[in-house]
Amino acid sequence: MDINDVLKLLDAKQFNQECPHCVREINYAFVCDLMSDALMLLKKMPSHIGAHGALVTGLVTNQALRTAEILDLETIIFVRGKTPAQSVIDLADEIGITLIGSSLTMYRASGLLFKGGVKSYESVLEEEA
Amino acid sequence: MDFQIERNDIANAGTVSSLTKRHLKKRGLSRSFVKRVTIGVYEAEINVVIHSYGGTANLNIENDYVEIEFKDVGPGIECISTAMQEGFSTASPYAIENGFGAGMGLPNIKSVSDEMYLDSSEDGTTLRIRFYIKDEDYENKPINK
Ligand SMILES: Nc1ncnc2c1ncn2[C@@H]1O[C@H](COP(=O)(O)OP(=O)(O)OP(=O)(O)O)[C@@H](O)[C@H]1O
Ligand SMILES: [Mg+2]
Repeated sequence: MDINDVLKLLDAKQFNQECPHCVREINYAFVCDLMSDALMLLKKMPSHIGAHGALVTGLVTNQALRTAEILDLETIIFVRGKTPAQSVIDLADEIGITLIGSSLTMYRASGLLFKGGVKSYESVLEEEA
Repeated sequence: MDFQIERNDIANAGTVSSLTKRHLKKRGLSRSFVKRVTIGVYEAEINVVIHSYGGTANLNIENDYVEIEFKDVGPGIECISTAMQEGFSTASPYAIENGFGAGMGLPNIKSVSDEMYLDSSEDGTTLRIRFYIKDEDYENKPINK
């Protein structure tokens, strides 16, 4: 799904500048509030998926960005109306991650994405099998 | 390369792993190899930030392996075998608010690394992890190898 369609679907806004080399397309999404859990689960994910993947989280910190960076995910979707600090936005520009914010709850945002065809980690496993 | 890691400085945690990632990429190492190392370094770095009084990291990149050693000045891990279990955590409310405390860091470090040495006393903790580089881990062969 094109990132502009995601913005419309979630009634969301983008916090930072256009990231020049990002693909701006979200085909996979992963939800997490505990970073080590995400790193444990997603570490074997093939790298080509990362660029088309988004991390959906309520954690508006540098560490959410670091986690996405390690996993090669290019987009973070913050839910529940949380706004990142300017220092977090600056870091996103530096490492090339697109930050999106929606005021929807985690459940609703995820449900809408899923209905819109954005795939889950289970799909990654099925595709690899 | 040496790095200083400050206690409770969560905003800057991830700097060591981010720089490590950059160095490894520059050497032409594959994304999957780089990811493996970066996860180990990140988890170890965060542990020093949230569980210790502060410490250092020393990164050593050789042609056939990458090794990184973390040393901190206490208070140490009470029981290493318990700490190694998935889900065990003594993370503070501050650390949990910042997205840590799943108790998955040490088990994940063990799973991504090829060798892991962990020793701890009240005076501090030493963690050394090593990743062997195989030929297929190079995406592009470095020119001046
Ligand atoms: N450098 C350290 N100094 C003191 N205690 C440590 C250190 N590293 C780990 N520990 C202890 O080992 C426990 C388990 O560590 P582990 O990294 O597996 O989980 P965590 O850091 O609590 O949570 P997570 O890594 O999932 O965010 C910690 O909760 C802490 O009690
Ligand atoms: Mg940890």
